[in-house]
Amino acid sequence: MKAIVIGAGEVGYSIADILSREGNDIILIDRDESRLKAIAENLDVQTIVGSGSNPRILKKAKLEQTEMIVAVTDSDETNIVACLIASAKSKVPIKIARIRTIDLDRESDLFGKDHLNIDLCINPEREAVKKAMRLMEYAGASEVIDFADGRIKLIAFSIEATCGMVGKNLEEFSRIYEEDALIASILRNDQLVAPSGSTVLQAKDYILVFVESSKVVPLLRFFGKDTKQAERVFIMGGGTTALLLAEELEERGVTTKIIEKRQNRCEVISGRLNRTICLHGDGTSQDLLREENIQEADYFVALTSDEEANILGALLAKQMGAKRALCLVNKIEYTHLIPMIGIDGVINPRQATIGKILHYIRKGKVISSTPLSDEKAEAVEFIALETSDITGRPLRVMKFPPGTIIGAIIRHDRVIIPSGETVILPGDHVILVTLRSAIPQIEKILTVKLDYFG
Amino acid sequence: MKFRNILYILGALLFFLGLAMVFPLLWSIHYGDGDQLALILSLMLTGATGAILYLIFRPGRNDDPTLTHRDGFIIVSLGWILAGAFGSLPYLFSGILPNVVDAFFESMSGFTTTGATVLSGLDSLPRGILFWRSFTQWLGGMGIIVLSIAILPLLGVGGMQLYKAELPSRGSNKLKPRVAETARTLWLVYTILSAIEFILLLVGGMDSFNALCHTFSSMSSGGFSTSDAGVGQFGSAYIDGIITVFMFAAGVNFTLHYSLFTGNIGAVFRNSEFRFFLGVVLAATAAITFNLRFNILDDLAGCVRYASFHAVSFTTGTGFTTAEYTAWPTLSKAVLLLLMFIGGSAGSTTGSIKCLRIMLVLKHAYVELYRLVHPHAVKTVKLGTRIVYPETMASIWGFLILYLGLTLAAFLILAALGLDLLTAFSAVAATVGNVGPAFGAVSPPLTYGNLPELAKGILSFCMLAGRLEIYTLIILFVPEFWKK
Repeated sequence: MKAIVIGAGEVGYSIADILSREGNDIILIDRDESRLKAIAENLDVQTIVGSGSNPRILKKAKLEQTEMIVAVTDSDETNIVACLIASAKSKVPIKIARIRTIDLDRESDLFGKDHLNIDLCINPEREAVKKAMRLMEYAGASEVIDFADGRIKLIAFSIEATCGMVGKNLEEFSRIYEEDALIASILRNDQLVAPSGSTVLQAKDYILVFVESSKVVPLLRFFGKDTKQAERVFIMGGGTTALLLAEELEERGVTTKIIEKRQNRCEVISGRLNRTICLHGDGTSQDLLREENIQEADYFVALTSDEEANILGALLAKQMGAKRALCLVNKIEYTHLIPMIGIDGVINPRQATIGKILHYIRKGKVISSTPLSDEKAEAVEFIALETSDITGRPLRVMKFPPGTIIGAIIRHDRVIIPSGETVILPGDHVILVTLRSAIPQIEKILTVKLDYFG
Repeated sequence: MKFRNILYILGALLFFLGLAMVFPLLWSIHYGDGDQLALILSLMLTGATGAILYLIFRPGRNDDPTLTHRDGFIIVSLGWILAGAFGSLPYLFSGILPNVVDAFFESMSGFTTTGATVLSGLDSLPRGILFWRSFTQWLGGMGIIVLSIAILPLLGVGGMQLYKAELPSRGSNKLKPRVAETARTLWLVYTILSAIEFILLLVGGMDSFNALCHTFSSMSSGGFSTSDAGVGQFGSAYIDGIITVFMFAAGVNFTLHYSLFTGNIGAVFRNSEFRFFLGVVLAATAAITFNLRFNILDDLAGCVRYASFHAVSFTTGTGFTTAEYTAWPTLSKAVLLLLMFIGGSAGSTTGSIKCLRIMLVLKHAYVELYRLVHPHAVKTVKLGTRIVYPETMASIWGFLILYLGLTLAAFLILAALGLDLLTAFSAVAATVGNVGPAFGAVSPPLTYGNLPELAKGILSFCMLAGRLEIYTLIILFVPEFWKK
C-alpha cells in the first residue's frame, strides 16, 4: 500500500515506522528539513520537505497513487486541508486526521461524506481522558485495553513482592485461581517472556492478562491489589486534557481538585467547571499539597505538558501519601519505564493516537489492535473466517510465529479462555498477543485463503 | 558493530560476484580462447566463499539484522576491497597477470571505473578476460552495493546506510519510497541507457563483442577498451560521436535521466548542476579545439571531434582515448589534467570531486566576497531554489580538503619512489579521479605496469578512495570509528 504521512512528530514517525516495516511504501511530509534528514537515516521512507496542505507538495508525493493519507501535524487546519485536497483531487480511499480543537472534534456530521469527508478524526486529548478513566475504573491495573466491545479486557500490572503468587508457576496459578484468566505475556527486566505452564512468576514481573470484564476486579484483588474506586482525585496541570478529565469526573461525582500555575487559566477552568476546586499554584509544591490533604487522595493525575515534571510530581504525591499516581508522558520511550519506578499508570496520548490509527488501518479482518508496553508487542482482535487457515484445528497443532499467544475466544457472547485443545470455529472473535515483527505473518495466516475467494 | 551481519552481507555480495563471472565464461566458451578454466575456477571460488559466508553468518530468527551507519561504512569498504580481490582471480588464474599486485590493480581499476591498466597487448588477450575487464566496470559503475540492494530484499533500513556510504553525493533523497526500489530504478535506467548505446554501436558497424565491451566501459565512465589503440581502433567519427554522447550521459545525475524517461524534460535543463557540467564540457572543448587548430591540425571538424571526445572522456573520468593526446600542445594537456579534478554530476557513474561540489564551493566563495561588500547582508548559498545549509557546505569543504590532501600525500609517496614530477602527479590525479590514463610514463601506449609495486598499491588505494568519495574509506582509519 502507498501511504502519505503528514507531520513527522512522534505520532507521524511511529506510524511511518510501523507501516514501512510492514511493507508499505511511505512518503513522509514535514516542514522541518533537519527533522526529516534525521528520520531518513533511520526509516526506509521517502521524505519531502514542505507543507502538507500545499497541493504542489502533495502532487510531488504522488497523491494520485496514494491509498491512504494520515495527517498528524500539530495544526488542525493543515490536517483538514490535506485531507480535503486528498479527497477532492484524487479520491484517496482512507483519510485520517488528528483534530485537537475541543468541540470541533465532536462535529461528526462536519467530517462526514458530504462535507470534509475525513474517515477518522482523532483527538489525542480525548483519547488520553478515556485512558485515564479506564485506569481509574480498574484501580490496580496499570494498563486496561478493551476487546470485544468491552467484554474482554487485557489488563497489565506488576506483581509485588508481597503477593502470594510469587514463586508459583503458571500451572499452579491456574489451579489456585479457579476463574478463567490467561496470562498472555510477561515483561521481565524489559524482556518479553512467552509464558508456558512451567514459567515461574517473580516479584516485579509485569504481566498481561486476558480476563472477562466482570472478573477484572476479583483478579486484581487476588494479586493483592487495592481496587477501591476513586473518590478524591488531584489533577496537576490545567490544560485541555485536565479540563476534559475533570468534566468526566464531575459527572461521576468524584471530588476533583485541579492545580494550575497560571492565574488566568485558573479563572477559565473555574468558570467552566462547577464543583471542581481550582487551585492556583505549583503541583510539585509540598506545602500546597499538604494544605489540600494530599494524603486523602485516591489518585494524583499529572497532566501538564512537561513530562519530566509529571513524573516527578507523581512520585512526590505518592511519597506524600496519595494512594495512586498516574502521569501523562508523550515520549514513547519512557512508557515502559514508568511502572518500574512505582507510578501506577501511564497516559500517553500519542500512543493512544497511534493505537487508534493502527486499529483503523487494520480493520476488515482485524477489528481491533493495540500497541502494548514499549511498542514491541501488539494485541489484535479478529474474526475467524471459515476460509482462513486457523479454523477447525486444535490450537496445539497450529504453527504461530514465536511469541504469539491466543488470549481469548468469544463465541456466541460466551468468553472462552483457550487451552491447547481448543478449536476455533468460523465466526469466533479471536484475541491474540503477538510481537510487532510478526504482525505481517499473522495477517497472512488470517487471510491466506480469503484472497482466493476474493 | 555486529560482525555477523557484516559478514553475511559480504557473503551475499561475493556470491553475486561469482554469478556475474558466468557472463565472461559464456564469451570465453563462445570464442574458445583458452581462458575457460581460469574463469570457471574463479567463479567457483568466489561463489563458494560467498555462499559459505552467507550460510554461516545468516542471522537467525532471534538475531537483530539492523545495520548501523558504522556497519554501512565497513560493509561498503570491505565489499569493494573483496570485489577487487576476487575480481582479480581471472587475471591470476589465466596467467595473464601472474603478479598479485598487478592483478589486484587491474581488478580494482575495473570496479572503480578508473580504467588505468597494467596490461599491454590487449588485442591478443583472450576475449573472456577482456569481457570481464569491461564487465567489472559496468558492475562498479552504478555501484555493486546498490546492485545488491536492488537484488536482495533483505536489506530494508540497513540498505539506506549502504546506499549512502557507497556514493555519498547521491544524497539521501530517494527516487522512490523504498531504498530497494530506488536502487532497482537506478539500475533500470542504467541498463536502458546501456542497451540504447549497444544498439547504436552495432549500427555503427561494431561487432557485438566490441559493442558490448565499449558500452560497459563508457556507460560506467570506466574506460577499458579491447585494444591498445582504445576507441581509436575503429577510426570512425560516428563511433566517436556515439561514445562521446553516452560518456556525457554517464556524467549526468541519474535522477535526471529518470525525469527524462518519465517525460519531465524541463527538469533536466532547469537543473543548475547539469548546466554547470555542460558548461565545463563546452568550455574545455572550445579551448582544446582552438588550441589544436592553431598549433597542429588544420581540419576544424577534426579538431572538434578530438577535442569534444577527450574533454568528455576526461571530465567524466572515462579515460577513453582516440588520439595521442600527449603530443598535443601544453594548453590542451593542462586542460585535460584540470578536468581530472572536476568529474561529472553527483549521482552519476563518474568519479572525482564532481560538478555539484565545485559549483557550491565557487558560489560559497562568491558569497564571502559579497559579504565583504555588504557586511550586513543576509545571503546564503543556493542551489536552484533551495538553501544550502552551512553544515552541508562544511562537509563539502571537508571533502575537498581530504580529496586534495590524499592526492598530495600519494603524490609525495610516488615522488619518493623515484617517479618524475608529471608522472607522479598525473597518475595520482587520474586514479583518485577514476580517470585512468595520465601523462608522462603512464600515458598510452605506456601503462601503469612499469611502476614500482608499492606505487601500484598506493594507486589502487587512491582509486578506491576516489570511488567511495573519500569519507567512506578514510573513516575506517580514524581511531574514533572503532571505539565502542
